[in-house]
Amino acid sequence: MSGNQPAIEELETLELPQSGGFAGWLQHVTQTAARWPAMYRAALARNRRRTIGLTILALVIVLYPLIFRYVLSGFSRNVIPLPLPDDTIMVFMLIFAALALGLNIVIGFAGLLDLGYVAFYALGAYTAAFLASPHWGALGINFHFATAAPDTIPGIHIPFWIIVFLAAGVAAVFGALLGAPTLRLRGDYLAIVTLGFGEIVPIIFKNLVNVNFELGPIKLDNANLTGGPLGINPIDAPDILGLKFGASGGIAPVYLAMLIVLMCLVIARNLERSRMGRAWMAIREDELAAEMMGVNTVRTKLLAFALGASFAGFAGALQASYQGATTSDFFKFSTSIIVVIMIILGGMGNIWGALAGALVLVYVDKSLLPYISQRTQEIGRALNWEDLASFNVASLNFFIFGLILVVMMRLRPEGFLPSRQRAAELHHAPPTEAIATAALLEPDNVDAVEAEVQADIEAAESAASLEATSDAAQAEDDPSAPGRGDGR
Amino acid sequence: MQRTVPNTGEVADADILVRARGVTKRFGGLLAVNKVDFDIPRGSIVSLIGPNGAGKTTFFNMITGFYTPTGGEIVFDGKPVAWRRGSKVRSLAPHRVTALGIGRTFQNIRLFSTMSVLDNVLVGLHVHLRSHWWDAIFRTPSQLREEHDARERARELLDLVGLRERENTWARNLPYGDQRRLEIARAMGTNPKLLLLDEPTAGMNNAETRDLTNFIRRLRSEFGLSVLLIEHDMRVVMGISDRVTVLDYGEVIAEGSPDEVRKNSRVVEAYLGRGAAGEG
Repeated sequence: MSGNQPAIEELETLELPQSGGFAGWLQHVTQTAARWPAMYRAALARNRRRTIGLTILALVIVLYPLIFRYVLSGFSRNVIPLPLPDDTIMVFMLIFAALALGLNIVIGFAGLLDLGYVAFYALGAYTAAFLASPHWGALGINFHFATAAPDTIPGIHIPFWIIVFLAAGVAAVFGALLGAPTLRLRGDYLAIVTLGFGEIVPIIFKNLVNVNFELGPIKLDNANLTGGPLGINPIDAPDILGLKFGASGGIAPVYLAMLIVLMCLVIARNLERSRMGRAWMAIREDELAAEMMGVNTVRTKLLAFALGASFAGFAGALQASYQGATTSDFFKFSTSIIVVIMIILGGMGNIWGALAGALVLVYVDKSLLPYISQRTQEIGRALNWEDLASFNVASLNFFIFGLILVVMMRLRPEGFLPSRQRAAELHHAPPTEAIATAALLEPDNVDAVEAEVQADIEAAESAASLEATSDAAQAEDDPSAPGRGDGR
Repeated sequence: MQRTVPNTGEVADADILVRARGVTKRFGGLLAVNKVDFDIPRGSIVSLIGPNGAGKTTFFNMITGFYTPTGGEIVFDGKPVAWRRGSKVRSLAPHRVTALGIGRTFQNIRLFSTMSVLDNVLVGLHVHLRSHWWDAIFRTPSQLREEHDARERARELLDLVGLRERENTWARNLPYGDQRRLEIARAMGTNPKLLLLDEPTAGMNNAETRDLTNFIRRLRSEFGLSVLLIEHDMRVVMGISDRVTVLDYGEVIAEGSPDEVRKNSRVVEAYLGRGAAGEG
C-alpha cells in the first residue's frame, strides 16, 4: 500500500511499545485509540463516499434501538403499522449474527462444511442454564458467586459476564472434540459427520432426565440432569451493575447483545488477518500445499472448529439468559441450516457478509413475514375472503428462504457481500489453464494468449472492484483490488 | 534422536545435507522406489532425472515427509526425517520437515490461488512465526511486530523474484512464469536449507527457462541453498547440476557429474534416447 496517504494498517502499527506483557498491550491500545481520528481521516481520503456511508450505517444501527423505543414504536402503533423489529427480534438478530460470524470462521475461512453448528449453540445455552438457575438445587448442589440472586434461591448462580466466557469455553472444547475425529474428512463426509453431531447433542439434552448412574462416590438415582423436554427455567437474567438485561429489560439487552456481537466481529477480524487466518485460508485453497508449506493442518483445523464454536457459546449464553429459559426443541437441525444460509446469502468468507446475512434473514423471518402476514389477513377480512384471512404467510418462511437461495445461486452465487475470493472463484475460470494449454500447443503464441487472458482478468477485476466500492463490504487491510490499487 | 547411518566414506558427514539409504516405497503391488541411496552435499545443485513414472516425484515426497517410506532411512541435516522403528518406518509430518528447512515447489503449480501474492509468501513464513491465536485476538504488540516484520520479509522475497509490484494481485491472476516464481518465493519463505524444485521450467519458453536457470544459480550463491531438481529439460539439467542421479523403474541406474551421466550407456538407453527424440 504505497499511496501518498498513510495506510490505516501503517497507522496502527506505528510506534509499537518495546515493553511486553499487559502494560505494553494497554499502552499500545491507548495509543492506537488516540490515532483513530487520523485513521478515520485516512479512510476518508481513500474513499470518501464509502467511509461516510459506512459511518451513517453504523450510527443508524447503533442508534436504532433508541429511535425505535422513543419514536418509531409509537408511530408504528398509532399512525401506520411498519415492519419494524422490536427489542426481542433485535436481540435475536444479534444472537444469530454471533452464530453466523462463528460459523463463517469454520466454513468461510477454513472451508470446513459444518452442518451441526447448532450443537455448540445448545452447549452454550445449557452451560448458561446450568450456571444461573435453580436447576441443580434439586440435586442438592448450591453455589452462589457474586450474583444478584438472593441466597434463598437454590442452585448455582454465577454472574453473566463470567458465564458468557465459560459457555464459549465449553463450546470451544466440544468444537475441538468434534473436530478431532473429522480431521481426515472433507466436503460431503465432513458435513455428514457434523450433521450427526448436531442431532446428537440436543437429543442428549432432551433425554438426560431419569439418569441412574453409580461410579464410586457419585451416585445418581433417577436424577434430572438437563430438564428433559421441558428444558431449564427460570434462568437468571444478565445482571450487570444492578441493570437487568432480561427479556423485560427493554433496549438494555439489545445493547448487551450488540456489545457481544461487536466483540465477535473484532475477534473474527483480528483472526482473519493473522497468521492463523492465513493458515485457514491456505487450507481452504489447497490443504496439501498448505501442509507442505509448514502449516500444521491438524492444529489449524481444530482451532477453526474450536474458535468457531466459541462464538456459538456466546450466542447460546445470550439466548438462555435473555429468554430466561432454554429447551432442547429450540436447537433443531433447521437452525444449523439457517445459519449456513445466512453466510451463503451474505457472502461466504466475509465477516460483513455473515453479519448482514444474519441480520437480514432474522429480520425477514421474525419481523417482515409476520407483518406481511398480518396485512394480508387484514385484506382478506376486508374482502371477506376467508382463505386469505386465515392464511399465515410467515409459515412459508422456509419455502421463501429456499426460493431466495435458489435464485441467489443462479444470479449472484457469491452472496450479497462476497469476499473477493469467492466472487473470483465463481465467475472466472482459472486463467492459467488457458496459458498453460497455449504453452503446450502453440509455444510461439504463449505471450499473445497471456496478454489476452491478462486483459480479460483486468477487465473483470475492475468490474469487480467497482462493485466492491459500492458495497459496504471490503475491509481496509484486505489486499486492495488490482485495478484499483495505485501500484500499477 | 540421532540415528546411526552407514557412512559411505566419500564426503564427511557434516557436508552431507540429505542422506537417504535404502529408501523404498511400495504402493500395493507397485514398487515405485526401490532401495535408493542418495546424497545431497551441502551447497550443491543435484538433479534427479528419469523417464515418466520412474519414481522421481515419489522420492521427492518421501524427503518432504508427505509419504512415509516402506523401507530405508532419510536423514536431513543430521536429523532423521524417516527412520526405522521395529519393523516399520516412521517419518516426520510434512510441516515438521518444512520447519527443519526443506522448501518445495510443485510439478503442477499449487499456489493458494485466490489469496494475494503477498499472502502466499506469508503462508510460507507461517512456520517461523510464533504468535498464537490469543495474540491475534488481542493484537498484542509482539504479534503486530511479528506481522510487520513478516510482511517486510515477504516483500524482500517478492523483490527477489521480481513480483513486488504485484503483491496485491491474486496468485491465480499472475502469468504462468510468474506463478512459478511465486512458488519459489513461497518456498523461500520457509527459510529452507534445501529447496526441492519439481519440474520448475515445465511450460516455460526458452527465455523464461534461461532466466530461471540463472535464478537457481543465484539462490545457491546468495543464500547458500542446496537444490534438488526434478527436470525434463536436459539443457537445464546439464547446465546447472553438480551431480545427476538417474532413476528408472524406481532404481538408481546412474549417478555422477552431468558429463558422466551423459556418457552412461544405460542412461542413454533408458532416458536420453527417448528424451532426445521427444525434445525436437
